[in-house]
Amino acid sequence: MSAINIPPIRDLDFSAETSLNSDELRIKLTGSADARAVEPLSNLLPKIHAEAMRLGTKRVVVDFLELEFMNSSCFKSFVTWISMVEEATEKYRVTFLSNPGMLWQRRSLHALSCFAADLVSIEGTPS
Amino acid sequence: MIGIDAKIGNNHDLAFFEMNFCPSHELVSLVRRFVGTFYLRMLSDPDLASRVALATHELLENAVKYSSDGETNIRMEIKPGSKGHLIEIRTRNRTPTDNSTILARNIDEMNAIGDPFKFYQTLMRRSAKTGVAGGLGLGRIAAEAEMRITCEVNGDVVEVIARTEDA
Repeated sequence: MSAINIPPIRDLDFSAETSLNSDELRIKLTGSADARAVEPLSNLLPKIHAEAMRLGTKRVVVDFLELEFMNSSCFKSFVTWISMVEEATEKYRVTFLSNPGMLWQRRSLHALSCFAADLVSIEGTPS
Repeated sequence: MIGIDAKIGNNHDLAFFEMNFCPSHELVSLVRRFVGTFYLRMLSDPDLASRVALATHELLENAVKYSSDGETNIRMEIKPGSKGHLIEIRTRNRTPTDNSTILARNIDEMNAIGDPFKFYQTLMRRSAKTGVAGGLGLGRIAAEAEMRITCEVNGDVVEVIARTEDA
């Protein structure tokens, strides 16, 4: 199994860890993705895309279960990333794990799923 | 500089919270959490509280980004509406004229389309093609927080108002 080489983000209020699980890339986001997280997140997601393409990944799972909030600039990073996937020759699916207790996630992820309905799916788990 | 003035009406037909401060990104998140708790306690509607907290965060981050002197005033009110409670969030700050002109134009464009979610999707398509951060905040307030946005410009002072009414 190929190793992945994506350094984690570990700030005071926000973290992002990437792992490879079978043939799925997983990103776990924790904390509050506010303006301080914009630059590291916008640097991370293209690396995720490049790694997914290199590995021939069929699905990337984005874990929002412990993500308290995400601002619109961080949300835009996900929009940009999903657009990159749309334009790739070998596409993979993106699944968001949503926490029903974080009410903003339902609305934001719904918007993202409408943006790229063929690629994006959402799975909710009990909080 | 931080000042806080908070008052709740005697018979709960009016509640407001007003703050003058120099918001940092960290303070914006703290205010969002407070606002979410404040509205949850006042209205007992978790969805509405979440929407208002989101709108507050986005408005304050815009103020941090565009304020010319670093100071922002934010005022949130709950008052009786025709169907239920009318919730209003106002931010006021100084900003260069170019910024307020662009802001007013973007708000006019959004309100002219009349379908906040459709406009939000258009913004997302547009923003995906640019390498510039931001550009979705106001659309997010309208589409996700379901609040109508207007702005008032008076010289170099701009006031952005987001309103919604719970049924």
